Amino acid sequence: MLGRAVTFALIGLEPRRVEVEAHLRSGEQPSFSIVGLADRACQEAKHRVRSGVQSTLLEWPRRAITVNLAPAALRKEGTGFDLAIALTVLAASDQVPTARLERHACIGELGLDGRIRPVLGTIAAAEGAARAGFGRVLCAVDSSHEAALAGIEAVGVRHLGEAVGYLRGEDEIRPARPSPRSTSPPPQPDLVDVRGQERGRRALEIAAAGAHNLLLAGPPGTGKTMLGRRMPSILPPLTRSEALEVTRIHSVAGTLALGSGLVASPPFRAPHHGASPAAIVGGGVVPRPGEVSLAHRGVLLLDELPEFPRSVLEALRQPLEDGVVSVARVGGRALFPARFRLVATMNLCPCGARGDPKLECVCPLARIAAYRDRVSRALLDRFDLVVAMPRPRAEELSAGPAEASAPVRARVIVAAERLATETPRRTAGASELLDRAVERLPLTGRGRVRVARVARTIAALAGSSEVLPEHVAEALSYRSPAGLASP
Amino acid sequence: MTIRSIRRGEDAYPPLLAQIPDPPSRLWARGEAPLELLRRPAVAVVGARACSGYGRTVARELATEAARAGAVVVSGLARGIDGEAHRGALAAGGATIAVLGCGIDRDYPAAHAELARAIVDTDGLLVSEYEPGIEPAPWRFPARNRIIAGLALATIVVEARERSGALITADFALEDGREVLAVPGEITSALSSGTNALLRQGATPVTRAADVLEALGLDPTPVTQATPDDPAAAAVLDALEAGAASADELARATSLGAGELAAALAMLELAGAIAVEDGTVRRTIAR
Repeated sequence: MLGRAVTFALIGLEPRRVEVEAHLRSGEQPSFSIVGLADRACQEAKHRVRSGVQSTLLEWPRRAITVNLAPAALRKEGTGFDLAIALTVLAASDQVPTARLERHACIGELGLDGRIRPVLGTIAAAEGAARAGFGRVLCAVDSSHEAALAGIEAVGVRHLGEAVGYLRGEDEIRPARPSPRSTSPPPQPDLVDVRGQERGRRALEIAAAGAHNLLLAGPPGTGKTMLGRRMPSILPPLTRSEALEVTRIHSVAGTLALGSGLVASPPFRAPHHGASPAAIVGGGVVPRPGEVSLAHRGVLLLDELPEFPRSVLEALRQPLEDGVVSVARVGGRALFPARFRLVATMNLCPCGARGDPKLECVCPLARIAAYRDRVSRALLDRFDLVVAMPRPRAEELSAGPAEASAPVRARVIVAAERLATETPRRTAGASELLDRAVERLPLTGRGRVRVARVARTIAALAGSSEVLPEHVAEALSYRSPAGLASP
Repeated sequence: MTIRSIRRGEDAYPPLLAQIPDPPSRLWARGEAPLELLRRPAVAVVGARACSGYGRTVARELATEAARAGAVVVSGLARGIDGEAHRGALAAGGATIAVLGCGIDRDYPAAHAELARAIVDTDGLLVSEYEPGIEPAPWRFPARNRIIAGLALATIVVEARERSGALITADFALEDGREVLAVPGEITSALSSGTNALLRQGATPVTRAADVLEALGLDPTPVTQATPDDPAAAAVLDALEAGAASADELARATSLGAGELAAALAMLELAGAIAVEDGTVRRTIAR
């Protein structure tokens, strides 16, 4: 007697089809075993499934039961196989119709009382089911709206009994509707709070419009972090496909609030410098997305950049260049998207007086060198915009309120759309200025490319279809100074 | 690595150096440049290792001007003012001489290894009285300073604290009967206490690049000072007359938008009229 069901395991974000088979043998002592490279959480399914079935007042077959998870070479981890295992055992003992079960993909964890709980990454597993040609997925009711985002009919069930009733055709359950975009974005800090810092605000706007990386350097207490935290408030909303990508990552990472729906606004992540490399870049025995992936399509704020361990900073170079993190593990390679706007802050010296025209820095040279050397030239080169933020004067702080985020965001949206549809071309004068700058200023080849990109964004913000010399000039003023990596 | 040595009494031995009270008996030189370089009119530009942005800008500018007028810039390859002096000369395509307090094959300080190579590649020389292989040691540096002063017609101290090694170089220059110039600084800044003390004792103040060339008896090269025709740039230069300022302070003083101001700053920097360091904008020195 054989039962069969299909579920989907995740390698990183990638769904893999897993066939669950249950075989019941008579004439042996009753037993229950799970084979097919199942990890500890998965082995514990035995207890949950057995209790769940019995709590539902269904019959637990008094036979020798073997459940096989195929392909056996794929490492199975987690609790998402529970529902499929329970239903195959019930199918093998003729308590649910096998034919109908085989048309569904099953995703869910069982409680001892038979209730069905949502699992991480439901949207990604449901996408796997849709791609494999399944018409319906059976899952916890709490995650059915999320599963429906994958473009599949998601049948949400609260309890194993409900699933059985549905499969037997006794109860009809209407598939869930895809969860709506959360209409109102969560309240965000607004630019109206930032007094002065005109140059910093301008650079933030350019970085938002052109998806550039921004480094804010200056004495402590000048509002670098404050400005960085306000970047999400001026970003364009996510497109539908971007929103799906972001939702998928956050679903797998478990940072998606239940029932929060499709993530519509760009995420914001600000990990502390004490976080481990795996937490920031991603990894672990079971590969999980790190902060860089959780910031995908949004903002990653690294406050006090030189305080981050060198290993973390160097590991940032791959995602900054390729927009993706690959985590190699014994079980295979997991790829996590990581295309984010990086906003970083740093002081100019350990004492903090550097960059203040009215103060004198007392740091010994060696300490400044040690401080700045923690950020490598190679990483510094990845910042398109570097802005020194001076200490604002009293008169700036007492000035009237500054421009709020809303009008800035409107300009950013227009410029981003313009950049997406047409690339502003450099005029001859602009190219000439760029050539002259490469000759006169310390500007690497990569630096030149970055200045040209920033100039395009500035042109788009100005509503110009051409990159004019003044756009290149402004872009040049944000280039990373030669002296920042080490004095 | 081309290494040569010159003994005292040989023709190639620099005559100015031969005049000082205790000239080195032997001089080692690294670099391909002809040893004639050691006989050309030279100016020493020295100062503090821990210097301010002001000191860095001035040192670089003075060295550039001197090199452009045909003078050889001599310094000690130390961090700070010394390094900027060499860089300024290189920027003008001029030859520069670095006098070391260790063997000329040692890249000391390590952070200036690349600068040392650039000096050698631009027809400059690294010289020392110590044999190749000799390690740097603190007591060798004052002795090295007598060679810096001895090779130069004039010594300019850009920024120095009260007990700076640069003042030792100035003392040697005075003993040798050479001209000593000092760059005035703010009287409240410890970094300028040494140079201001030199001025009080009668050193020639440097208030423009031409002062240096006069001391050397050279004619300033006619360089058209960048006179900005752009009203935004002109407004920025006006605002900077009152002293160094941050970009935001300039924006307020000139009523320019952040974007316009950024463009004006970049154009002025390209024209060599301003220098920007750590967010502080200052005018470059007048020629």
